[in-house]
Amino acid sequence: MNRVTFTLNGRSTVAVVDPHKRLIDLLRDTLGETGTKEGCGEGECGACTVLVDGRAVNSCLYPAPEVEGREVLTIEGLADSRGKGLSPLQQAFLDNGGTQCGFCTPGMVMAAVDLLRRNEHPTRADIQTALTGNLCRCTGYVQIFESIEAAASATNGGES
Amino acid sequence: MTTLTYQRPTSLREALETGGSDGARFVSGGTDLMVQRRSGRSGTENLVSLRRVEELAGIDWKNDQLRIGAAVPLAGIGADQRIARDFPALAQAIAALGSVQIRNVATLGGNLCNASPAADTAPALLAYEARIEIANTGGTRTVGLDEFFTGPGSTVLQPGELLTAILLDARQSAGSAFMRLGRVRMDLAIASAAALVEIEDNRCTHARVAVGAVAPTPLRLSAVEEILEGKAPDGPTLAKAQAAVDALISPISDLRASARHRRRITPVLVARALEAAISMATGDAQ
Repeated sequence: MNRVTFTLNGRSTVAVVDPHKRLIDLLRDTLGETGTKEGCGEGECGACTVLVDGRAVNSCLYPAPEVEGREVLTIEGLADSRGKGLSPLQQAFLDNGGTQCGFCTPGMVMAAVDLLRRNEHPTRADIQTALTGNLCRCTGYVQIFESIEAAASATNGGES
Repeated sequence: MTTLTYQRPTSLREALETGGSDGARFVSGGTDLMVQRRSGRSGTENLVSLRRVEELAGIDWKNDQLRIGAAVPLAGIGADQRIARDFPALAQAIAALGSVQIRNVATLGGNLCNASPAADTAPALLAYEARIEIANTGGTRTVGLDEFFTGPGSTVLQPGELLTAILLDARQSAGSAFMRLGRVRMDLAIASAAALVEIEDNRCTHARVAVGAVAPTPLRLSAVEEILEGKAPDGPTLAKAQAAVDALISPISDLRASARHRRRITPVLVARALEAAISMATGDAQ
């Protein structure tokens, strides 16, 4: 077993994990943070997207022991970081129908956080490229793109 | 339950000593290995992570010589303006590889060591005549990338050896490009091609052509290069080069495409990569 110390959504966190576990196992099973979803488990669908040291990664492909000393941001950390309510990006998904069954949504939102931190005013093409690794089987993507565009135009980036 | 250890060395020496032990395997981004483990294709017992090894983490220029550390994430290479300018085919290949999430962790060293015949970065690096730096506890050696792959999933790496860097020389007057066909963006290539040319006085003085996903390894097409060199980069020359591709490749049929389809599209990809490279070399694209 490995003991890992890392920052989860701004809070210093210590956990004991099997060395062969993945970050998504650590988040969901060990720490009970079930906002992050597992879809394919092979890095194809993006439902498990979280930010590690500020970059979007597939938590199903990320070895849990590798988070030692790193900063992890999950969907739970967006609303919490503001103290109340949803983040503007999350609210934009709600207002623009960017969510339907909801399973892909946490990954979509986290991928969009990564995009908007790097590019405050993305074009539609930028958004499509940023979401290449995120599958949605309900919406047809249009409302998701519109949600991200709305968040970007409402603020200087949906998260802040 | 599998008993694995996961170690995080911070220096090359520590990584080589740890990785040289029985049952150890190096892992960098892990985007291939984690999937292989899940599907039972990898029975690895002890993983040695390369993500914190300082000597593998840099992009360094010395004049026109570029050294890319094996564990630099692809996103970092793709964001490098000078690499985009001097090695556009590599930047294009990286942009075509996987998703943002994959490129944030996957590495150039990992893409080569996984040794998929379809590895997107391989044809581009072959066209640039990349050299591979390999280290073990006894020292380092360098091999050409065209000697690195020995078959699907296999390379010249010996147990305990580690690919430490990819070495490239920029050819300032060259034009180069990468082309790829996939079913969708997030899929392995059905076929890919990269080309590099230098043109002087309407004559092709230097040509390098490589293809992916159509042979047991990524493949340099020397016979195509010979057709191009010394000739005017015009329609008849390109037609001859395109016609020579078929005899050099040995594609298989798999779930992505039939061998017959790959034989039809690969010459087209080669011709398109050459056209883009010629256009860049002659300044048409600027």
